[in-house]
Amino acid sequence: MEPNRTLAEDWYPGTVPENVALDPTAYVESTYSFREFRSRSPVGLRIGTGASVYQGVMFDVGPAGEVDLGEFALVNGGRIICDSRIEIGAHTLISWNVVLMDSYRLPTDPVDRRRELARVAGREDRTLPGVVPARPIRIGPNVWIGFDTCIMPGVTVGAGAVVGARSVVTEDVPAHMIAAGNPARVIKSVPQEQSGSTGKAS
Amino acid sequence: MSGTPEAGRWLDGELPDNVRLGTGTVIQGAQCFKRFHNHATGALDIGPDCTLDNVHFAAGPAGRIVIGRCCYLCAPILLVEAELRIGDYVMIGWNTVIADTDFHPLDPALRVADAVACSPLGKGRARPPIDRQPVTIGDDVWIGPAVTILKGVTIGSGSWIEPGTLITRSVPPRSRVSGNPGRIVGEV
Repeated sequence: MEPNRTLAEDWYPGTVPENVALDPTAYVESTYSFREFRSRSPVGLRIGTGASVYQGVMFDVGPAGEVDLGEFALVNGGRIICDSRIEIGAHTLISWNVVLMDSYRLPTDPVDRRRELARVAGREDRTLPGVVPARPIRIGPNVWIGFDTCIMPGVTVGAGAVVGARSVVTEDVPAHMIAAGNPARVIKSVPQEQSGSTGKAS
Repeated sequence: MSGTPEAGRWLDGELPDNVRLGTGTVIQGAQCFKRFHNHATGALDIGPDCTLDNVHFAAGPAGRIVIGRCCYLCAPILLVEAELRIGDYVMIGWNTVIADTDFHPLDPALRVADAVACSPLGKGRARPPIDRQPVTIGDDVWIGPAVTILKGVTIGSGSWIEPGTLITRSVPPRSRVSGNPGRIVGEV
């Protein structure tokens, strides 16, 4: 990051928001990723040592939202919809077009939803309000999430787990397990013969 | 809402002549009309007070899109060769795809002919018939991100389509749908 909070070789004429704690060793491809970032938390987003955020990632973070991206984590496109807290552990790899959402943002009742959508149209910035309760998402360390996957509100994915491409994860995935499908189901444990420091399956 | 109603506008360019926008509707995104190939009158009609962020209006020469009032569309990809009708107060989440066409014929021999017609050497060659059927989304429908809706589908009013759902068949009003293939898992 440059002293004026712009990024080198950025196609988008934006800056890194003041409440984004960007480690000097981390990589963010474009400040376009912050277009929907409206967190008012002192640290609305932390991007850890050696972490990477590639083009196409959108931090759609509401006023009370906080996102924590761990050391050497990599996010390669997709949308992070956050009104409470989303944690992504160290060395976790997130493929393209993955959706992490801690809130549905709009009420399920059509009458209530109509009222909220009418309200949005009257706002200058047209942002969706977080009028339904958000439930934090925790993605552990050393997790691998395949492309086009959706991680739903309140989900925890344990350390070392793998989530197959195009999954929709509505329930917790235990550590060191492979889950896949829509809805996602645990299929088996991650083979451990090459396992390094993260330990055995629980 | 307050003040005088504001004319509908596209923030990133000059709106094609055949696009009608209701008052208070805002379209954002430089690439919205990159694949908008219908030049006929009434190709795209959008009601008042909509928020359309980075929508891909990928309409073929005869593809017509009609959107009601107070809709909120977050970067869906609308692939329309026949007709797509979206009701009032509809929310569509990020990266959702709606396609009213098969794009190519199912029959292998016809598909060979289509591949040639689509190739750089196919200039002037007519493409074989391709199945296309209009898609209709009712009023008050909530569609999550990463949903896929295919040709011929009608989604009944008030329905709730969970993120990541694949929909190939019509859905009655006030259904809650999830999964791949999409299944009705409850009522709203």
